[in-house]
Amino acid sequence: VADADRIAIVTAGVVTPIGQDLDAFWSALVTGASGISRIERFPVDDLRVARAGEIKKLVRERGDEVLTDCRASRLLIAAADELVTHVGGRPLAPDPRRVALVLGTALGGVEEGERALGCDRRPSSLAGALYDSPARTLADWLGAEGPLLTISTACASGATALGVAADLLRNGAADVAVAGGYDVLCRFVMKGFDVLRSLTRDEVRPFDRRRSGLLLGEGAGLVLMERERDAAARGGDRLGHLLGHASASDGSHIAAPDPNGRGLEVSIRGAMRQAGISPEEIEFDSAHGTGTPLNDKIETAVLKRVLGRRAYAVPVNSTKAHTGHTMGAAATLEAIMCLLAWRHGQIPHTLNLEQPDPDCDLDFVSGEPRPCRPRISLSTSLGFGGSNAALILEGA
Amino acid sequence: MSPGSVAAPRLRATGLLSGWGRGVAALPHDAGAAAAGRAVVSAGRPALAGDRFRRVTRECLLGVAAVEEALEEAGFPRALLAGSRTALLYATASAYGASNRAFIEGTGATTLHFPYTAPSAVPAEVAIEFGITGPYVIFLGGAPATLSALWYAATLLASSTCDRALVLAVETFEECADLYARGRWLVGRPLVEGAVCALLEPGAGELSYSEGRCRRPARRAATGIERRLGEAFACTPLVELSVARAAGAAPLDLLLFGVWRGSEAALRWVEMGPWNGKKSSTS
Repeated sequence: VADADRIAIVTAGVVTPIGQDLDAFWSALVTGASGISRIERFPVDDLRVARAGEIKKLVRERGDEVLTDCRASRLLIAAADELVTHVGGRPLAPDPRRVALVLGTALGGVEEGERALGCDRRPSSLAGALYDSPARTLADWLGAEGPLLTISTACASGATALGVAADLLRNGAADVAVAGGYDVLCRFVMKGFDVLRSLTRDEVRPFDRRRSGLLLGEGAGLVLMERERDAAARGGDRLGHLLGHASASDGSHIAAPDPNGRGLEVSIRGAMRQAGISPEEIEFDSAHGTGTPLNDKIETAVLKRVLGRRAYAVPVNSTKAHTGHTMGAAATLEAIMCLLAWRHGQIPHTLNLEQPDPDCDLDFVSGEPRPCRPRISLSTSLGFGGSNAALILEGA
Repeated sequence: MSPGSVAAPRLRATGLLSGWGRGVAALPHDAGAAAAGRAVVSAGRPALAGDRFRRVTRECLLGVAAVEEALEEAGFPRALLAGSRTALLYATASAYGASNRAFIEGTGATTLHFPYTAPSAVPAEVAIEFGITGPYVIFLGGAPATLSALWYAATLLASSTCDRALVLAVETFEECADLYARGRWLVGRPLVEGAVCALLEPGAGELSYSEGRCRRPARRAATGIERRLGEAFACTPLVELSVARAAGAAPLDLLLFGVWRGSEAALRWVEMGPWNGKKSSTS
């Protein structure tokens, strides 16, 4: 990647079921903590599966500081609060009109829609149901007045958002971008996945022969991005770089991934091409790894096709058993995990992977974290509607 | 190129279906008068052939039909869309409203229905129908989201990430008409459903894009397109492109504005190329 095109990831902020800042998140990943529990925030007695990665209490939010009823906005503000803290509370850019906000989400403000169609008939609840509403609340909180984009490529949204933000920066449409993804648990999504029979009554077991489905989760992940030359001129620490990204559609099925993984393959090849790297340079893959029979098998096959023999030498993990599938947040959280792996010299293990599936025969990290310092990482994501996205990240 | 600029794509064709009918010719001179008191002007449910479409939502069918309209106008073989060299960029403010509502209220809680609640359902059906496996991004919001999608298509074409791009916008209102009535002072009238697709190819010239928050929306009716079209959220910029094209605008020299919920976007699109028609500007 030419220096002029390098995009720095300066810092990040997270809110997850296993930790509500970078340190707690990382610590929970490497100690094998699980955020899965019975849902307490809304009724679930009528659902087949009532467990998920629910955030029980937002630790960064004091009672007198709750700015909005919208839970999605509150998760975003909590993640942004950490991000802003990491830069010492300084303005993100001298001119707020040059600060972009690009957020990915699978659900947007749909929980507000549930309220608006129920007992809360205020027009504000109705407006809050629009998918771009939480982004607007966060832009106001941040004082960001530049491009404000909401991306919804289902569960690949958190990766697509980072890619679009990088393109805004490369194109000069903004100087700084806050980008990432979020989603909240609500009855709407729990009922939807319950009806689809996608949720497991067992543990989430990515790449395990006993895997039987996913569990959902909620969270938010944000990164602060700028052109590397600007970050270098300003000085200070960086978490890493986004070297390449690509998205692609499957053109195959409304809900299931393409059995041949065509879109996933196109997106991985596209991201590698943009990053200017070969398979030999990839040192770690953060897989989507939902723990569904089809997803894990397809991802394995696509990695073998794209990376060739190198595929067997690249450590692969999935964090879905730690957090549940956090949908729009997942890809951003996984990208942050890749950069933390470089910083800490460890790759978190795939929780609950105990009996490897012969169809999933790559070097999956299981049992315990692996001492390893992966400078170049691949992160892959898939979503409803045949959405796929891939990121190539570099630790700094 | 100035900051925020990229090589302008060539507008090969547009396909327009709206509550007013098919194409630009169906647009009235005054949407308010033509609506004759209707709050929502419905685009109906396109009758697409094929068993596959039996359970597909109306907004998905509108999306597929708009792409077919664009291909027909361009004389572009549908088989050429298949594969990874076609990008699909989709914009909508609210076309997921009907399916979300149906699912929440329990009228659509079948196994097949839930995936159709995702905004990505519309472009997914388009990708399936035409075998598209190229770059794929979905922008949510009103007209600024569509301008972002047009800019993004231009960046993909300029970087040779794709050979052609479809920029599609769909809006439906009928199923949520009572909800829009609750917030009627927030939206223009009449609400006009639509599905519009622009087929773009690499071109010369310059496309500049800017977006930002605005305290007081400016130039809302600068082009007058809302007067002819009505309120069509994300469809509006693509309808404006369709109008410019129908007016024989080649090469294009356009300034498109979009305003939505405190954001304002502008896109200046200046095509360069052989002089093959009258120069036009719709603003």
